[in-house]
Amino acid sequence: MNSDIKDLENKAKMLRKDVVSSVYKAKDGHPGPALSIADIVATLYFGIMNIDPKNPSWAERDRLVLSKGHACPVLYAALARKGYFSVELLPTLRELGSILQGHPDMVKTPGVDMTTGSLGHGIASGAGMVAASRVTGLDYRVFVICGDGEMNEGLIWESAISAAKMKLNNLTVFVDVNGYQSGGSTKDVSGISSIDGIFKSIGWHVQNIDGHNISEIVNAIEFAKKDDRPSAIMAKTVKGKGVSFMENNNKWHKGVPSDDEYNIAMKELG
Amino acid sequence: MMNDTKRMSTRVAFVDGLVDAANDDSNVCLVSADSLKALRADKFAEQFPKQFFECGIAEQTAVTFGAGLASTGLVPFVGTYAGFLAMRSIEQMRTFVAYPKLNVKFVGLNGGIYGGEREGVTHQVYEDLAILRSIPNFEIVVPCDGPQTKLTVEAMAKRNAPGYIRVGSGEEPIIVGEEMKFELGKARIVEDKGRDMAIFVCGPALRLALETADKLAEEGINIVVVEVHTLKPLDVETISSVLSTVPAAATLEDHNIIGGLGSAVCEVAAEYAPTNIKRLGLKDVFAISGEREELWAHYGFTSEKIISEIKDQLAKI
Repeated sequence: MNSDIKDLENKAKMLRKDVVSSVYKAKDGHPGPALSIADIVATLYFGIMNIDPKNPSWAERDRLVLSKGHACPVLYAALARKGYFSVELLPTLRELGSILQGHPDMVKTPGVDMTTGSLGHGIASGAGMVAASRVTGLDYRVFVICGDGEMNEGLIWESAISAAKMKLNNLTVFVDVNGYQSGGSTKDVSGISSIDGIFKSIGWHVQNIDGHNISEIVNAIEFAKKDDRPSAIMAKTVKGKGVSFMENNNKWHKGVPSDDEYNIAMKELG
Repeated sequence: MMNDTKRMSTRVAFVDGLVDAANDDSNVCLVSADSLKALRADKFAEQFPKQFFECGIAEQTAVTFGAGLASTGLVPFVGTYAGFLAMRSIEQMRTFVAYPKLNVKFVGLNGGIYGGEREGVTHQVYEDLAILRSIPNFEIVVPCDGPQTKLTVEAMAKRNAPGYIRVGSGEEPIIVGEEMKFELGKARIVEDKGRDMAIFVCGPALRLALETADKLAEEGINIVVVEVHTLKPLDVETISSVLSTVPAAATLEDHNIIGGLGSAVCEVAAEYAPTNIKRLGLKDVFAISGEREELWAHYGFTSEKIISEIKDQLAKI
């Protein structure tokens, strides 16, 4: 298992480099919120999810909904590295005619399981995917990655209440608790706190983990599988993780590194 | 008025159509936003418990949840009050259903003032067609009565496209009955007494258009009544070909005259067959509560008022 963890850590590092590189080359995008979830995305795509890149619409596949869709550079990196499309396409992010839209598009991009972008929708669409399995009889899990700022949206909570009532135990939601949203810290902008407490109070299985510790991510998913409730994993993270000048600097919520910054970032990411 | 007319609830007709569709296709589902009772859909939930999903009073969730269901190949119908769908959850309908072309159907209750009647403005809607018509990929149908509602549901269930069906409230008069031909996307000439003018109509107001045609014929004015039940995809060919045969036309709809059928026909006229057109409907106002026939009369939905407006129009051209 240790070698597996090491491998996943290396994958996360590779995804981080892809994020910085694609945003740098595309001259647009959101590096900070993509870097904070790189370990979660790497763990899911390279260690957990039952998927077949040669058959992106395989009905029994596990699914990922990137509810915080602006973090898509890391999703695109994972999909490219899994072989859904060429890695060479990553720098075409947000470019006219590219399959890599500004926010995830399930029609244009192979491997994207749900269109996302405007915040608040991932739990509701993920719940629908899980609920569908009760009609189709297929066995799969659905993972959703939300931002902590995104927890401001009312739709998050109405859909979370519905998912708990429906006992959608195959729904696992990661909340990327990096402490920032577009306009500043979550504390200052929205005042939202005790997200775990809210999930608990409406009947979810809740865990708190270090969102950069692959072992904790893997274990949390295993615990989630064993519970008969939908599961929320509060992943404490650092926005911009892995690039010193981006870490906890909300300027990098959306921003493009200069040539020098790019070189420093790539060196730091090894 | 209408006491001796056969009636059928468009809500019940919707459920009848949905049950038939589910019998044909086990992927057909129903998503409720605590609207099961309003939809009269207990029958569906009892017959197909696994295919029924209750999201609670949460329209945005119901729509997005429906998108999730559809992404796996199911065919969900999301039903609740039309105004809540077309206004509260319009972003979800646009971005997470219409944009990715997910196969979700929407059933909007209480459409128009005839459907919304006593509930007042919060539960009425006369802007839904304008809003939805401006969003790509939606198929939009406004059935005129119960039998047509059932046919619409059955037709939509077989199509792989986002759709919206506008239904009413209670026991609506049956206008054309089960013998009628219905083809989604195809406008229908229901009455063709002559080409002194044309009335294009959708929804339960078809009854008024037919009354109007009969009464005008008694005065020697012979008109053609065209039912445009499908606002998208719009039957441009039929509309423009009829327009090219008449000196003037009117549109009649239980909707704001801005953005709905009237606008759609005017757009066709402007591009293909310039014609003098009078738009009849709600004249950019919010309505009040009231019994449906009284409410309709209050806002000019009577054949007498329609005839008066048409005569004014014809006198000016």
